[in-house]
Formats: sequence, structure tokens, C-alpha cells
Amino acid sequence: MKFKDYYEILGVERGAAQDDIKRAYRKLARKYHPDVSKAPDAEVRFKELGEAYAVLKDAEKRAAYDQMGSQWKTGQDFQPPPDWNAGFEFSGRDATSGDGQGGDFSDFFEALFGRQSGRARGPRHAMHVQGQDHHAKVLIDLADAYLGARRTISLRMPTIDAGGHVVTQERKLDVTIPKGIRPGQHLRLAGQGAPGIGEGPSGDLYLEIAFLEHRHFRVDGADVYLDLPLAPWEAALGASVTVPTPEGKVQLTVPPGSAAGRRLRLKGKGIPGNPSGDMYAVLTIALPAADTESAKDAYRAMAKAFDFNPRADLLG
Amino acid sequence: MSEMTKTYLQGRIVEDEVHLTLVELCRACGVHQEQVASWVVEGVLEPTGQMAQGWQFGGASLRRARLAQRLTQDLELNPAGAALVLDLLDEIEALKARIRRSGAF
Repeated sequence: MKFKDYYEILGVERGAAQDDIKRAYRKLARKYHPDVSKAPDAEVRFKELGEAYAVLKDAEKRAAYDQMGSQWKTGQDFQPPPDWNAGFEFSGRDATSGDGQGGDFSDFFEALFGRQSGRARGPRHAMHVQGQDHHAKVLIDLADAYLGARRTISLRMPTIDAGGHVVTQERKLDVTIPKGIRPGQHLRLAGQGAPGIGEGPSGDLYLEIAFLEHRHFRVDGADVYLDLPLAPWEAALGASVTVPTPEGKVQLTVPPGSAAGRRLRLKGKGIPGNPSGDMYAVLTIALPAADTESAKDAYRAMAKAFDFNPRADLLG
Repeated sequence: MSEMTKTYLQGRIVEDEVHLTLVELCRACGVHQEQVASWVVEGVLEPTGQMAQGWQFGGASLRRARLAQRLTQDLELNPAGAALVLDLLDEIEALKARIRRSGAF
């Protein structure tokens, strides 16, 4: 197990006042919140922050943590010393406040402070309560949205065991991804959430669908975009070119005199649905390199053939 | 053998096919009804129907409500603050979509 320096994570001195710790946490939480941050490691950073703050904001936990001494560095191998927390009592263990993502903290945290249980929701003493809804994210390929797909997904679900403890259970589910699904949409699987209490029905499972980044295609709602490079003569004279779509190749007619940036629409070739999305080829113009004598001659012939000043507008 | 009998679960696409009641939305997001009502007041969510118990939320509300819930919990935002962040995120998303459409241009 690796030691975690919670002070370092929050960027504060070991002697920092509670107000400074709160301020540092707030600032970093805004910066690394996964819903607003562009940082690639935002999710990991945000989790670490939450864990560090859960310890340092709590006077008892902080005192116990401090007692281990300051010689430890982040990433060092670490085993809690026997009886390390003798004399401390963690009243927070089950009642810990609302901002913990229950059960989501590191091994290091759990070794020191025990498992965080999820927030108890709903009336605790009612006899029949519907189980909680669960959420998970599923990554699919763009082609799966065109054809539909079947996926076996494994979920790690926190559930409450007979003794009232939170345990993480691995669950495998076979799911049909319907044709026509778009990025960011959710699938609701009725009754696949947490089991109910008493005779209460099970909760639902919501799957959020995200698309794997594609090398060529960009997705906007149900529409799909592709950059389509053309040779200068194809753009000028028109051409019939072969274009990939997520469901195979099609032949596309480029009209003469097409400028870079022009969008050619392939109606109904976007993500299928009612109505189907469209696919757009965004034209770009690629210049062949003038790296042989005959290529240079061809460019020189063009210069001679055209009375063309691309900067006329700039200097006029 | 198990391959033969494997049954694949069919889900429903929430955004296209599902309307949520206040109770369903609260359960899906793990929040209290008062919290959702405060987001409705701020315009984060726009249900149809009169009176809280008759509200119907479109499927797209699920994503918005979950986002508002995470922001509220993690950053301790009040409903007006959460509404502002959601508006700004919508704007960023619209700008990103414009970039996706124009590609290299």
C-alpha cells in the first residue's frame, strides 16, 4: 500500500488552519471537478482531493493522521503501525457527511479509517422500500450505433450485506445496445438496480452511453462529420470520390468549383433513427509536394496559366 | 450451452422514450424533491404539467439533474450557482459542437 500525503495533495502546510484547508480544497475542487475540468486526469485528481479533504477537515481524523509523523512521502510503501490509532475514535465512520463518494476512497484511506459507507437514503425503518437506482457508463464504437450491438458489461456495485456493511459486488450483465443510440444518451434497464428492502421492488440501472473517439469521424448529435481531402484539380474540376462512412464506402460527387470548408451532405447517412442523422464531408484541399522537376514544372505552368492574386482583397 | 441461453437485456433510451415523474427523477439522482423543485424554480429543469406531483420531466432532464446534483454536492453550490454553471456548460458544448462541424476549418 502506498502512503498518501494529504497535505501535499491539497497544497497546504502541515500546520495549516482549518479555514486554509477548506479554501485550498474548494479552489482545487472547482479546478478538477470532472464535469467542468478539461484536465485529462481530472477524475483521479478530484477523487484524491475528496479523500484528502475528508481526512483533514475532520479534527479527529486529522489528529490521528498527523500522529504518524511527517517523514512519510506520497508513494512510499506503507503499513499502518499496530495500534496506530489507539486513543482516537472515529465517530464519523458510518455517519460521515454528505460529500463523500461512499466506498470510493483508496486502500490507504480504508486501512486507516475503515470503509466509508454510502449515504443512507430514504426512510430507514420503512418495511418496504424500492431499491436504489444505479448508474454506470458504457463505451461503444460509432459502428455500434449504426448496427446495434450486444455487450457484456461488468459492474462493481456497492450493496449492503446482511450485517449492514457496504460491500462491492461484481456483476455481469448482457445488454443490447440499440441501433440509433447517440452519445450522452442513457439506457434504462428496469429492475436492474439495487434490490429493494422488504417487498419493495428493485431499483433501475441507468447506463450512460459514450462513444470511443474515432480517427476520422466526429459525432454531433445524430450527425457525423468527416474531413475529406481533395486534390486541387478535384476541387476545381469536380470529381467522383470514394468516401468511408461508418457502415461502408459510398461514392460521392464533388461539384466543380468546390472551396475548402464546403460541406457536402450525405442525407440519412448519419446515425440511424427517426429521423436518421446526416453525414457531412467537410472539404479540405491537399497540395501535392513540389519535390520533382516535373512537379515544379506543373506548378510553374499553373502560375503562367492563371492571372491569380489570392491577396487581392488584402491589399485592395 | 450458456451461450445458447444467454438473454440480452433490452433497455429503453431515456432521452427518446421515457418521461420521468418527480419521484422517479429524485430516485434516479438520489436527491430530495425540494432539491429538484429548487432547480425547477431556477430553470435548470423545465417539466410540463401543473403542480409538483403532476410534473413530467423529459428524458434529457436526467443528465441535467445528475449534473446539478454532482455540482451541488461536490462544490456546495446553491441552486442559482448550479443553474449558472449548467448554462455555461451548455454554451461550451455548443461551441465545441461548432468546432466538430467545421473540422479543420
